[in-house]
Amino acid sequence: MITEVDVLSVADTARTKDVTLVDVDIHPRMTPAELVNWLPERWARHVARYGLRAPAGRDRYPRPRNKGVRADSWPENGFPGTDYGLLRKQLLDEHRIDFGILLVLDTLDSGYERPPLDAAISQAVNDWMAAEWLDRDDRLRGSIAVPIENPELAVQEIERVSTDKRFVQILLPASMQESAGSPKYWPVYRAAAERGLPVAFHTGGYNDYGGTGRPSFYLEEHAGYGVIMQILLTSLVCEGTFAAIPNLKVALVEGGALWLAALKWRLDDAWLQLRDEVPELERLPSEYIREHVWLDTQPMEEPDDPRHFLHALELSGLEDRLMFATDYPHWDFDSPASSLPRGLSKEQRGKLLAGNAIELYGLPSKVACR
Amino acid sequence: MTATTITAAVDCDLHVAPPSFDKVLPYLDSYWKSYIDDSTVGLSQPAYPLGAATTGGAPAGNYDQLAPVLSAANPHRAILNCLALDGVHRNPYYAAAMATAVNDWVREEFLVRDERLRASIVVSPLDIEAAVKEVERLASDGRFAQILLPVRADVPYGNRLYHPLYAVAQEQGFPIALHAWGRGGKAPSMPGVTATYLEDYASNAHIAQVQMMSFVAEGVFSKFPQLKVVFMECGFSWLPPQLWRFDKDWKGVWREVPWVKERPSEYVRRHMRFTTEPAQLPRNPRQIAQLVEMVGPGLLMYASDYPHDHGDGFERLLAALSDEDAESVLRGTAAKFYGDLIA
Repeated sequence: MITEVDVLSVADTARTKDVTLVDVDIHPRMTPAELVNWLPERWARHVARYGLRAPAGRDRYPRPRNKGVRADSWPENGFPGTDYGLLRKQLLDEHRIDFGILLVLDTLDSGYERPPLDAAISQAVNDWMAAEWLDRDDRLRGSIAVPIENPELAVQEIERVSTDKRFVQILLPASMQESAGSPKYWPVYRAAAERGLPVAFHTGGYNDYGGTGRPSFYLEEHAGYGVIMQILLTSLVCEGTFAAIPNLKVALVEGGALWLAALKWRLDDAWLQLRDEVPELERLPSEYIREHVWLDTQPMEEPDDPRHFLHALELSGLEDRLMFATDYPHWDFDSPASSLPRGLSKEQRGKLLAGNAIELYGLPSKVACR
Repeated sequence: MTATTITAAVDCDLHVAPPSFDKVLPYLDSYWKSYIDDSTVGLSQPAYPLGAATTGGAPAGNYDQLAPVLSAANPHRAILNCLALDGVHRNPYYAAAMATAVNDWVREEFLVRDERLRASIVVSPLDIEAAVKEVERLASDGRFAQILLPVRADVPYGNRLYHPLYAVAQEQGFPIALHAWGRGGKAPSMPGVTATYLEDYASNAHIAQVQMMSFVAEGVFSKFPQLKVVFMECGFSWLPPQLWRFDKDWKGVWREVPWVKERPSEYVRRHMRFTTEPAQLPRNPRQIAQLVEMVGPGLLMYASDYPHDHGDGFERLLAALSDEDAESVLRGTAAKFYGDLIA
């Protein structure tokens, strides 16, 4: 159960050490059986009988390789991401990760269940994360699951869980029932901003491909995650979300990053022509993005010419905003030992591997370069 | 290079539109004449609100309105695009009848008047069988240069439902042109709408990325190795990172799409081109040069996009291009892409 936890007391040792690596996208898996265990009796009985109503993303676009996970990440019993011991060994210890941010994706489909069950699922995920993961390892930090399609209940859950300072952000799906910039969600964004918690949008939810219709293949879905992030960010900017909530910080997770440059140019050029339509946007869209948005590296972009990565990093203005992520235990895992592009300066590496995440999440540590 | 020197170019995108149904009625049969007379169907273009700065004014409604534009630029060739079907109606038979009428109107109002002009064959994605027939009807005319579809669709354009159209396009040597907008109410968002025009306008680039991947992933270019596709008015500066990611993912999950035999970017670079408006570029000329290197200047073809006004992006692009690259963008790439169709 969630209790008040002061992160400085649990991380005393961390506070004094040099931090060289923060992984901002780690996926423990909560199985349906585990969910039933952590739900109150009324909803446990319901879910045991009827299951969950959301069609799973992995069923819509089946992962065609290694069942979507690192081939060596299967514990002796159960699914990748379910065994703390294996995750510690393969990820935290092997790669000497100083802090790892947990994002539990199995329940990103808020809105498919009736509101009380929607809220109960989020509570179960958060309670489970605190007890089964955060209590076991002071390198780990959590993301608060919320019933986003019921904003009032989502705010209540943020109020409940944010007393535990090991939870460092709110987790939302990149595809929600309405555009991310819709004022429907602003109370949730405000609740996060008031507490200094970033809102992380992770690819997922029920993206129905407005504008084109549904593609056929996982290749298109996965290679299109960055497009979904462009759609999301365009909505946040154009609907005035950042103008209305000046303290809001947003992290876009697992959509790649280097598309950001072209989006900034696109929105700036469009705003210069059309600004009289949106007087609430008083500054260039790129300035709002610069101020409010962080992104992660997953999956690391790999141009043939490594210079192009450096160009695109500069064009995107991401030096202070890009954060490293492994995406463990998924199939396209990026190893901190081998996935970084060539040619980064020592300072760029330090910010990318740790500094930018330390700043966004207020982690109790100082950055060092490995 | 500066904008003032753009003459004798191949202009891939100028907009014309019938100002009223009166102009197209002569090309419709009596059923559709009475339908139009009696129904609420309209010719509105929700994509281009007349008060928006980007719209720039009404498209040319007759040759006399277009003539001064042509006199000023004296293009080597100019390709006319009529988006009059981009409404929100759902009736596939109306769409097919209107496509035919619009094509005949463009031919009689413009193409017969000026030999510098070419036009796109307007077809509706709501009825592919009718679209094939329309292409076959006009193939021998010699003044049509490509097949026009709206980039926004109900089903992505790689899907096999469209393949009969691609078969006839390849057979007749016509490129497929996907133009911004279309299918009103189909915005790239969860609810399918956008709360602001600004968002809708910027979104054509997002849709184009999904469509680009659909063509490659569904194996369209493996099945139709001569087929060419041009994205119009959807930007291009988004291309490099999207291709990096597409190539990388294909290396991981190629098993799912065994007909994709080469890296996705190879298909894109060989089969696809992009028009220059809206250019959507950085302000710094050194950064524009970096971007152009990553995109590959050979993928770009000039379009005035008359009468629309996307700001000064194209001027910035042209200023940053070498003379040789500028020549390719203004003329050379289109000459190769369209070949005899614009000779």
